[in-house]
Amino acid sequence: MADSLLSGFRALDLTDEKGSACGKILSSLGVETIKVEKPGGDPARAIPPFLNDGPDPEKSLHWLAFNTDKKSVTLNLEASQGQDLFRKLVEEADFVLESFTPGYLDSLGLGYEALARVNPRIIVTSITPFGQKGPYAKYKGSELIASAMSGVLATNGDPDRPPVREGPDSIYFRSDAAAALGTVIAHYHRQMTGEGQQVDVSLQEVAVSRTSSNLVVWEFDKQLIKRNATIRTVGARATQWLWQCKDGYVFWPYMGGKGGARGNRALSQWIDDDGLENPLKKVTNWEEFDFAAISREELDVHQNAIRKFFMNHTKKEIAEEGFRRKINAAVINSPADVLENPQLRARSYWVDLEHPELGTRLTYPKHFFLCNQTENFVRQRAPLIGEDNEEIYAKEMGLSGTEITALKQAGVI
Amino acid sequence: MEETSGSMEKQALAGVKVLDFGWALVGSLTSKQLADHGAQVVHVESITRVDLSRANRMTSMSSATNPDDKPWFTHLNTSKLGICLNLKCAPSRSVIERLVRWADVVNANMVPGAMGRLGFGYDQISAIKPDIIMAEGSAYGQTGPMAHEWGVDGTGGALSGYVDLTGWPDRGPVGPNVPYGDVVLPFLIATAIVAALDYKRRTGKGQYIDASMLEVCAHQITPALFNWEANGHLQTRNGNRIAYAAPHGVFPCRGDDRWCAIGVFTDEEWGAFCRAIGDPPWTKEQRFATLNSRKDNEDALEALVAEWTKKHRAEEVMRIMQTAGVPAGVVQTMQDIMENDPQLKEREFLVQLKHPVIGVFGHPTPPYKLLKTRAQVKTSPCLGEHTEYVCTQLLGMSDEEFITLWQQGIFR
Repeated sequence: MADSLLSGFRALDLTDEKGSACGKILSSLGVETIKVEKPGGDPARAIPPFLNDGPDPEKSLHWLAFNTDKKSVTLNLEASQGQDLFRKLVEEADFVLESFTPGYLDSLGLGYEALARVNPRIIVTSITPFGQKGPYAKYKGSELIASAMSGVLATNGDPDRPPVREGPDSIYFRSDAAAALGTVIAHYHRQMTGEGQQVDVSLQEVAVSRTSSNLVVWEFDKQLIKRNATIRTVGARATQWLWQCKDGYVFWPYMGGKGGARGNRALSQWIDDDGLENPLKKVTNWEEFDFAAISREELDVHQNAIRKFFMNHTKKEIAEEGFRRKINAAVINSPADVLENPQLRARSYWVDLEHPELGTRLTYPKHFFLCNQTENFVRQRAPLIGEDNEEIYAKEMGLSGTEITALKQAGVI
Repeated sequence: MEETSGSMEKQALAGVKVLDFGWALVGSLTSKQLADHGAQVVHVESITRVDLSRANRMTSMSSATNPDDKPWFTHLNTSKLGICLNLKCAPSRSVIERLVRWADVVNANMVPGAMGRLGFGYDQISAIKPDIIMAEGSAYGQTGPMAHEWGVDGTGGALSGYVDLTGWPDRGPVGPNVPYGDVVLPFLIATAIVAALDYKRRTGKGQYIDASMLEVCAHQITPALFNWEANGHLQTRNGNRIAYAAPHGVFPCRGDDRWCAIGVFTDEEWGAFCRAIGDPPWTKEQRFATLNSRKDNEDALEALVAEWTKKHRAEEVMRIMQTAGVPAGVVQTMQDIMENDPQLKEREFLVQLKHPVIGVFGHPTPPYKLLKTRAQVKTSPCLGEHTEYVCTQLLGMSDEEFITLWQQGIFR
């Protein structure tokens, strides 16, 4: 088996659902990632859906999804023996990932400063709703709260209803990607200089960083871009990007200028070939086509014709014939459709992992990216609670059977 | 006003050299992460094919003719050096070859195949410098039947299932007026590049990195994929509701289009929520006693919560809830973010930097803070601003040679 990019390094992962994908990304890069769970398991194991719908900390499909390739030990960090064991683990680790309320680890004597005394090279990556410092640092947060406080939520949804969240935990996922990036940048610096440090990730800031174009529109023109259902507003131009078709929905951004020219021309041709009324035909130079130069009424006429056109076709037609004609549409896949997508299949994106304890196998995304010299793949199902206690505590740290039994009885592991 | 945030301290990626063909969002944001942390990034542009964000006139101060009056471009391209080079002009090849020899990393996000047609695909570049790290981001990836198809931000969102899950159950899907695929992919590519730099340090080997927006986006819906595959449940849009919290939604507040998000996850938080709104009798009703019963009566629950929130300003609702220990947050606008958010202000998330054409304005800093080697965000380059510097200082060209190439018209 080929190396992975970061084979040979170790992370201790204390995160809940806010941070689990960070460790997943690092473990796919070859970092040996040990989930340190409190006895009974990470509270995020209570997040549905569950396999066969029965709540069970070993059957959370959400947890299984974001904790692949990790080991698991249980450890009570609130017990002093647990703290001692954790410090021992930190001596041999390269990274600590955590998502506790700022100050909590400090109160246990396990904050960054304390851990750096044990291991000056350690990198502690903290993923929290609002960051380590500031008046909201101890405020509680979640995917929805981060979306609200970032300005993302205000731009999503139907105008006649409240702003609506993105379906998946998109802010958690991107925050974890940001955290992985901060972690490897700090790692590079550490490998060059020997200096460890803390990486401070705020879910709110990660989400605000998406709003760049809206920030400048407010700063320079005092305009607020609001939620507008299927209409996408980029600066002053608002055009439809999501459309209903015969059996579902499609993404087709109606854009001016060079960016939209090829797709617009191809769509106009297809409308003609369908024998439908085609007001787009009046546009002779799509490269120069500028929405600012046409009236609201004219745009409505265009978009009504496009709406009728899409209602005339199925998702399959738009995917296949649209691809042939290069209209630049993308069908809006359901989760079931995603598994069938031919592009993902052609790139061997899926891997089946066995879950012998659950008597099932599940299909996982296999990679975040592909490399020609290294394999950075999802390889192993998420761990059972404390699955690696024996390996880490007995074999590696050399605790005796008696000591382990005593720790278990004391509720430490 | 400074052109750089922070003092000139040590930077994590000091000494790393990046040749940057990135454009639009994915490529620009990938190299920006490296540049803000101290890598020297030479951003190659051409007046014959200006960057999407140099042409986009989203603000009224931006003209059709000046490539340097676009604040959005500046946000996406901080801390880089800019060189103007017409890649379709033959003598420019020698400059690129020298830049490849100079660089540790080549970053690009053209449609797959385009770099090869320009003569700078991975095969050609690694022939010049075998241990180069080259990363290419794209909508679909470099291989497969869709590889050469063109995509934008929503392409990855639509195909990955993300869009289908967003919106109300009784209506079609919707999407936010901000990007997702275009801004998540750069974090993964930059992660790969920096990890590859460390791998090269240990092994001497370079790396080619092929990253697809569709593939990165699909990761986030893995639980829904399992729910379909293992349980036969096909998840779809569900508004603001989630299975493990109630109330969990966005509630109307006093004022025009003002809202506050509230999420009650635990029994403890439910108790705190009830006390915070003054323990009205309805909170004691059996139908709201447990998470399961609140989920069963969510319409009624949300209506009662809204009756209370409507009487308060969104900021008051957040303060009351958070003081009580209940997760809550104002649905902030860009005005709130830029003018009224004490958290972002104290953390200096937006830095005021001076751009020679646009003047002083706010720039977002990287949303992951390395506390000992802080990002130092500098304003973006004007088109071709550093052409002479890069050629003569970084590549060591003589003035004579530079002038000869200039006369051949390659620096445009």
